Amino acid sequence: MVMNLEDLYRLRRNGYIEAQGIVDTVPYPLLLLDQNLRVRTASRAFFSTFKVERDETIGQHIYDLGNGQWDIPELRRLLEEVIPKSTAVVDYEVEHAFPSIGVRTMLLSAHRLFHPENNSRSLLLSIVDATDRRRLEVEKDLLLGEMRHRMKNLFALVQALARQTSVDGRSGEEYRDAFLGRFGALVRAHDVAYTQDQKADLKELLEQTLKPYSEGATIVIEPSKPVSLTPSRALSLSLILHELATNAVKYGALSTSTGKITIRWTIERASKKHLRLIWQESGGPPVTPPTTTGFGTRLIEFSVKGEMGGRVELNYAPKGLAIEIVTPL
Amino acid sequence: MPKTVLLVEDEFLIAMDLELLLQRHGWLVLGPAATVSQALLLLRNSVPAVAILDVTLKDGAVTPVAEALRDKNVPFVLSSAYEKPERIGGEVLAGAVNVGKPVDAQTLLGALEQAMRS
Repeated sequence: MVMNLEDLYRLRRNGYIEAQGIVDTVPYPLLLLDQNLRVRTASRAFFSTFKVERDETIGQHIYDLGNGQWDIPELRRLLEEVIPKSTAVVDYEVEHAFPSIGVRTMLLSAHRLFHPENNSRSLLLSIVDATDRRRLEVEKDLLLGEMRHRMKNLFALVQALARQTSVDGRSGEEYRDAFLGRFGALVRAHDVAYTQDQKADLKELLEQTLKPYSEGATIVIEPSKPVSLTPSRALSLSLILHELATNAVKYGALSTSTGKITIRWTIERASKKHLRLIWQESGGPPVTPPTTTGFGTRLIEFSVKGEMGGRVELNYAPKGLAIEIVTPL
Repeated sequence: MPKTVLLVEDEFLIAMDLELLLQRHGWLVLGPAATVSQALLLLRNSVPAVAILDVTLKDGAVTPVAEALRDKNVPFVLSSAYEKPERIGGEVLAGAVNVGKPVDAQTLLGALEQAMRS
């Protein structure tokens, strides 16, 4: 086949259009530099990202572009030291304060092109703005770290429950049931505490926690003003309620068919807002105070005083156990 | 004569558990303190032989407590779920042993003895 000059011109022109089309299609900034590091062409994304015009870009030396905003020591090192020794560089990270767009983390990839017909070299330089991606990665790492921390804390809580559940005078089965009961209370407390915006509703918490005991039993939750609780407070209250309920099933009002538990609360405004929560048992067998301090009592005292900064009164009245918890909200 | 250990932990269930565990092994427990200010108040009147510190408390990082202990030459061990507690609590925590969380009895008791010897 004989190719005349016109064909050759058309071929080259097609090649040029194709190349420019490719450059413009690339969604990120791309520069084609000649061997003297002058811009031969640039992708559309380069102009829009760095807010520069085509006229002030093409033909310019890269270090002179946009008032010297590309005259960056790290970029100089890449172009003058790294690239001459290798044909391609991928994701070379450069952090720089650009006058038009601020501090950015850029990933530079470069590829050297050799043109055998005239022995010239050119350089394709792509620039990916990884600032947002980097920030997201950092946030993700923080979030995962926090998640791991919370998980380990939960493991520690479960460990504490297992260790605190007494084995004295219990069969293996009884120990298992007692532990699983407490574990279940912890799980339900988490459901209530962490489902909606880190706020738990007291009424919902009472209903959820006491649900396993309400079947065939009389547990009355008197309507009152809504109270929202922090997750840690919700967790404490939920564990307390579980201890009170299991105690009632074993020795108190829920050990007979005639027994009844009434729960009510008020909000009091002293110097600070206080919640007064009352658990009243009635109709059960005569009450006698316990002779030893068990896990339940310790838990109530510990959490109300230590955790909530409140106070608790346990009244072992013969007609029914009465418990009053007063805690700042 | 029993040795005193300062227990700083804001998760009440864990604090309760560790208190009992330490008492069963012959320790006298100072605390448990759930906040930095509680812990500092306890340290004003007594000097424990050693301390166990959680890193994040209700009122912030445990750093001021660790600094107070360092000033009094009281060794401490950390019990934190964070892998690098010094990132949260600062340099004063950097050299301390972190027994982690959850921690088993033997590891904790061993770390306390170790901290007192060094």
